[in-house]
Amino acid sequence: MKKYFREISVAAALGILLLALAVFAPSFFQPQPLLSLVTREAPTLVVACGMALVIICRQIDISVGSQFAVCSVCAGLFAAMHWPLVLVLAASVLIGAAFGAFNGALVAGLGLPSIVVTLATMVTWREGLRWLRQGVWVDLPNGVQWFGLPQMTGQWTLVLVALAILILLALALKHFAIGRFIYAVGSDAEAARLAGIRPRLMTFGVFVFMGALTGLAAMMNTIQSPQVDPNSGTGLELKTIAAVVVGGVAISGGRGKLWGVFAGLLLLACISPALTHLHVEAYWEKVIQGAIILLAVVTDGLRNRRKSI
Amino acid sequence: MNTDQHGYKSILLRHETILFVVLAVEWIFFDAVGHNFGTYDNTCDILRHSCEIGLLALAMTPVILTGGIDLSVGSLLGLCAILFGKFWRDAGMPLPLAAACTIGVGALAGGLNASLIAWLRLPPLIVTLGTFSLFRGLAEAITHGVDTFTDFPASFLFLGQERWLGIPAQALVFIAAVIFFWLLVHRTTFGRSFRAIGFSPEGARYAGIPVGRRMAMVYVLAGIVSAIAAIIYTARLGQAKADAGTGYELFAITAVVLGGTSIFGGVGSVHGTLLGVAAIAVLHSGIAHALLPGEMAGMLTGVLLILALAGSTLPKMISGLRARKSTPRLAKQIP
Amino acid sequence: MRKTLLLLLAVAVAAISGCNQSSKAPSGGNVTPTPAARQITIAFLPKSKGNAYFVSCAKGAQKADDELGDRLIIDGPTDPDPARQNEIVENWITLGVDVIAASCENKEGISTALRKAEAKGIKVVTYDADALPDARSFFVNQATPQGIGFALMDEAARLCGTNGEFAVITGSLTAENQTEWRKFVEERRAAAYPDMKCVAVEACDDLKDKAQSETTALLSTYPDLKLILSTTSLGVPGAAEAIKQAGKTGTVKNIGLGLPNENKRYVHDGVTQGVILWKTADLGYLTVYAADALAKGALKPGDKTFKAGSLGEFEIQGDNIMLGKPFTFNQDNIDQFDF
Repeated sequence: MKKYFREISVAAALGILLLALAVFAPSFFQPQPLLSLVTREAPTLVVACGMALVIICRQIDISVGSQFAVCSVCAGLFAAMHWPLVLVLAASVLIGAAFGAFNGALVAGLGLPSIVVTLATMVTWREGLRWLRQGVWVDLPNGVQWFGLPQMTGQWTLVLVALAILILLALALKHFAIGRFIYAVGSDAEAARLAGIRPRLMTFGVFVFMGALTGLAAMMNTIQSPQVDPNSGTGLELKTIAAVVVGGVAISGGRGKLWGVFAGLLLLACISPALTHLHVEAYWEKVIQGAIILLAVVTDGLRNRRKSI
Repeated sequence: MNTDQHGYKSILLRHETILFVVLAVEWIFFDAVGHNFGTYDNTCDILRHSCEIGLLALAMTPVILTGGIDLSVGSLLGLCAILFGKFWRDAGMPLPLAAACTIGVGALAGGLNASLIAWLRLPPLIVTLGTFSLFRGLAEAITHGVDTFTDFPASFLFLGQERWLGIPAQALVFIAAVIFFWLLVHRTTFGRSFRAIGFSPEGARYAGIPVGRRMAMVYVLAGIVSAIAAIIYTARLGQAKADAGTGYELFAITAVVLGGTSIFGGVGSVHGTLLGVAAIAVLHSGIAHALLPGEMAGMLTGVLLILALAGSTLPKMISGLRARKSTPRLAKQIP
Repeated sequence: MRKTLLLLLAVAVAAISGCNQSSKAPSGGNVTPTPAARQITIAFLPKSKGNAYFVSCAKGAQKADDELGDRLIIDGPTDPDPARQNEIVENWITLGVDVIAASCENKEGISTALRKAEAKGIKVVTYDADALPDARSFFVNQATPQGIGFALMDEAARLCGTNGEFAVITGSLTAENQTEWRKFVEERRAAAYPDMKCVAVEACDDLKDKAQSETTALLSTYPDLKLILSTTSLGVPGAAEAIKQAGKTGTVKNIGLGLPNENKRYVHDGVTQGVILWKTADLGYLTVYAADALAKGALKPGDKTFKAGSLGEFEIQGDNIMLGKPFTFNQDNIDQFDF
């Protein structure tokens, strides 16, 4: 119990929020809008899983928003050229992986600090996309939305895909050696290297994987509507890092559970619709978001202080 | 930084020198290609446009030197700007008093960051990520998003828009800040303690440095400087809105890292930061004057940042490779 | 040795920059000096570069420029920093352009820079979103804010049968022209349709995806909601998708300011009943013609009409050049337009 204190406290906070909504705004719990909300957040969950891995590995990637935007637009353009959707998906994942590889090569290969590398790539990709697209949307042909399936089926497919990825990754982290290697590299890269793990290769791999997941998430987002907005993905890095941190993953690496990230993401994603349902003005959203992040990190700090006394 | 070489090589290969050369190349290039770029008017404009970011970058330098980071400075600028407007318009304070109160708020906000980071020893990235949202949210909540403060008296707007003795008025504030921070970082024991804390907080503590107090100091300073930048921003624009300063923190961090300060702390300089701010500001202005698309400025800044980083590590890598060739590799001998 | 090197570098840079004299742009700066027929430089400033609305305005502006033969510079902020527009204008002042045509994100803030431009002899017109009247010569007005607000509210009332609840989606709470339109929507509602109630105002930060999630939440919070009204072109398609996914096509009406191309699909599906706008290309076209005429002295304060190329004559009310009335794009006519 104590070991999972952070994850449980996030889940508890989420529970309290849902309880408050049940009492004061039961209209929140209608099935169709909830499904729409969860489907909208499914791509973010996928990216948050990748971000959790990166942070556990003691790195950070703030370029995910720009990667997401580029992959979305590319996927949209390929779909508009009537490529088979499977190819479009593969292309999106590969492009994301390529971006991840670029980040990974600079961080693992040259040993540059990840926050600055991803800051530079974030700005470069974003401005490059703006320059090339000039804000023009991509119109998708019929049959692309929801993969051509009926809406309900499409929505459930996306939600289940996101959950499947979450569960698979959580299991892999716990039971497979590679999962333990990631935790090891995040705790102490030098000790990991002496133990025979190759930290630079792991770091590189984590960035590539992050990029691939971002590409997948971009595809999942693209098929949710008949047009692609090149500004999609704005603020994604903030959302996912906040979800990961609130969910109990330590920014110093080496600890954290994916189901905590899941709870953190749900908590943060529910703020906006909760405010609408509770008839609270929209401009309180950022204050509450910031307060939750601070509360989460302060709880961490207080526990650590008590432990060290 | 190559400190193990002597003579002119050590000056030529220093990060700051290379950055200075880059800056000079930018200037010469845009002067040739752009229209009316290298004029006195434009230089004043570049100064005026980069004043607030320059102030934030200056304040960010000691923060990063201690191995921390402050993502909340842009949002704090927005919050201070609207509070300044509110103090003046709604509370009826005379402008100097409103300015003093705003700086007080900036110090308090910096104090919030400081108490969480220095006292509770929480990771600066996450704390300032939280305050980044919190301050911007407070700015939006206080103004309901829509309220803006305008119609400031001309004597105040002078600070942001006019020239005093031939140079832009806010440049004087900036120069004062540059002198203050340069002295603080390079000529006082405070500055030396920042570097020590950046290298190793534990080692610094054992050396008798009051780590908590020093770290608190840099974040409170950052808060105060954000407030001053907010006042200058309001004077320059003639208007205060809740979205003031959006994106400034990343700009400031870019300038600091470009200038040779290591993001991990312990290494860096104020003149490096100045060169970084200048390089980015000149780049933006040059691209506009050369009638190139504005997005290129952002892209080139990203490329420049990566090159600057790679440039700092390459010498170490090369000497590391050279060393490895001559010594047996230990790793393979472990059974 | 080290000091000498540094000194040499510093002197070199100073010498090169010192070679250029300080330029006080004479009345209408000189970018390409040709003695007889000097080419006019028009600087066109949108609110943001990557916005489809301004992209279509810019197309019209480009067409006008091709006809006139002037030099057209289009530049705008790519990031949300409200100070960027001022910086761009100030760059143009030192560049020495002849006339600036600006759509203003911050009315008061940008007036500071525009007044400086006028003081240096650069002519200023505004379009789409006005600055303060003393900072520009003319405002190319696609429709008065009152006209826009009233048109939106009238259409909403017509679709709802003049009673019921509706919600508003705005771009960002800090966008001044949208705040002004909302003010007139409310004014019209209070005066003419007191049985209609605006239950919520949500901001979508000019993101289509966020508009969609906001609308989903609104639909479930207010079961009696009859209509969604968007004052931003990013809001209408996002809201439409949300209404469609919630299965409320037809039950909840969707209107707003929007571009025809982005909304064709939804209008044909019956999700969106109509989008109101004006011919954005014409707005850009008229703006560039007005800018050109202003720079050449053909357009002067006090004129009552203005002729703009192939578009014909336009009425001038005071210092507003009127493009016309807002236009409703609906199922009957939306296919005729491509922007």
